[in-house]
Amino acid sequence: MLQHLFKLIWNKKGTHSLLMIEVWAAFMVLFGVLTLIVFNLRNYLQPIGFQYENVWNLELSSNQDTTEIAAKLQRALQRVKAYPEVTAASRMSSNTPFSANQIGNSVEYNKVNVGADFYYTDTELANVLDLPLKKGRWYAEGDLVGKFVPVVINQVMEDKLFQNESGLNKVVKRDDKTMYKIVGIVDKFKGKGKYMSDNPALFQMLEKSDRWNSNILIKTKPGTDAAFEARLVKEVAVMLPGWGVEVGYLKDSRKNRENLTLVPVLIFLIVSGFLLTNVALGLFGVLNLNIAKRKGEIGLRRAMGATEAKVTTQFLGEIWVLATFSLVIGLIFAIQFPLMNVFDLDKEIYLIAIFAAVVVIYIIVTLCAWFPSKQAARIHPAVALHEE
Amino acid sequence: MIKLQNIEKVYRTSSIETLALNNINLDVRKGEFVSIMGPSGCGKSTLLNIIGLLDAPSKGQIEIDGSPVERYTDKHLAELRNRKLGFIFQSFHLINDLSVIDNVEIPLLYRNTSAKQRRELAQEALEKVGLSNRMKHFPKQLSGGQKQRVAIARAIVGKPEIILADEPTGNLDSAMGNEILGILQKLNTDGATIVMVTHDEAMAKKTDRLVRLFDGTQVS
Repeated sequence: MLQHLFKLIWNKKGTHSLLMIEVWAAFMVLFGVLTLIVFNLRNYLQPIGFQYENVWNLELSSNQDTTEIAAKLQRALQRVKAYPEVTAASRMSSNTPFSANQIGNSVEYNKVNVGADFYYTDTELANVLDLPLKKGRWYAEGDLVGKFVPVVINQVMEDKLFQNESGLNKVVKRDDKTMYKIVGIVDKFKGKGKYMSDNPALFQMLEKSDRWNSNILIKTKPGTDAAFEARLVKEVAVMLPGWGVEVGYLKDSRKNRENLTLVPVLIFLIVSGFLLTNVALGLFGVLNLNIAKRKGEIGLRRAMGATEAKVTTQFLGEIWVLATFSLVIGLIFAIQFPLMNVFDLDKEIYLIAIFAAVVVIYIIVTLCAWFPSKQAARIHPAVALHEE
Repeated sequence: MIKLQNIEKVYRTSSIETLALNNINLDVRKGEFVSIMGPSGCGKSTLLNIIGLLDAPSKGQIEIDGSPVERYTDKHLAELRNRKLGFIFQSFHLINDLSVIDNVEIPLLYRNTSAKQRRELAQEALEKVGLSNRMKHFPKQLSGGQKQRVAIARAIVGKPEIILADEPTGNLDSAMGNEILGILQKLNTDGATIVMVTHDEAMAKKTDRLVRLFDGTQVS
């Protein structure tokens, strides 16, 4: 029967070409959207790697003040740490977790070059974000006396840079002037939010004399309220006259950041939803028309021994065969993405998206063909034969 | 082989009730060639559809090989149509998108027959109607007579015991019509029971028995 259906559809390929193009286009769009969804979902299911609850970001801006910036920043840090509501505080570059800022650079080891997000921060960040270390330790003040700049990297960076070797205590090169010594390795650090992938990250020791990185991450005790926030802002503003002082919650930044990821996905979903609805309605209409035109054939098949169920199966089978032709063409295109490593995504993401798109297409065509096929089966054979 | 008792067929709409067949009694014996004649609209095709289990009578009983079929399920009726009956229609009812041989194979698709066996049986049937040289052609490439021969091959491919022909020569000229009748007579000689609906008195006279209908009633 399957061979018969393939023959029937193949012989009618000219008539069905537009329908096949429509199914193919729907598959391609669905594949794109599903790739995006699978990519984001896989990221979402991976742990973020740190704690952001009760962590505030105190953003200081020196504005016109140019004197003793580093010292003033250190004083502000000490003041913040002195509050009983604060359990830990750490200076950090402007690319704080979930912020839109990004600092990127690359490092080299044994001719392997890896690009990474660079975070400039002091010795306290691991405490503020509860960043667990997989190997080694977080850098300390004493590391600054060494020849190399102390850094901590994440696991994915270790994997990319050293493949099967351990990266601990290895020296890597940023440029001819800067060499880093890896003192510790953390597991994951998804600094751009749950929907983002765990990119290579490097935490570089920030010296007390640094005047450029003026964010302070503050871990507060649970239940610390807005009254403390107001007091903190007021007192720091008094300490640093003329400076800009702003406090944000990492929890809120995370939401904003994730919305920025979700909104395009939702837009794509809505657009593809419309497209799929159009395809479904088109298919439904074409199949209805097709069945109306083929009443004689239905009557003939019933006369030749087809049961109602077999007529239903035949029409469903035809649409499955038609969808299969379209999907084979679609797969030729889609399979290029994992083969050519497009966008440097994991092959598995593309393969899952392909599989899911194929399943969705078969479900849609089945739903669209079900009612017309049932209708076809219910046509009385004597009536169907008489109508041609 | 086929026994109809007190068959009545009424078509009902919301406002009209039409009596298409009234008290038809017919007994077709094995190996008989029976023709049903009558003017247009007298119920010939309705009667043939009822004999062919394509339509159910409003009243009366049908027996095939001594078994009443009223209570048969859709599956059982379909199997009976597939195994016991072969149909030939005035308008051929060939599927234009399938080649001649694929058209002939259709009844075998509804049996557990392998593709190879289907092909062999279809070739054999086409040889019987003299069309083995047109197997790869499509219906649009054939003349009316050739189309009807394909339809006959399709009707006999499953080796049914009964062939039901609804005006098989109605769309053909007389020479072609005679040729088709010749094939049917040969099938009858080979053992098939044939019930044929026709308008043509001359054709009907060449069969074993003639049943005449008028306004849904059997007149002879």
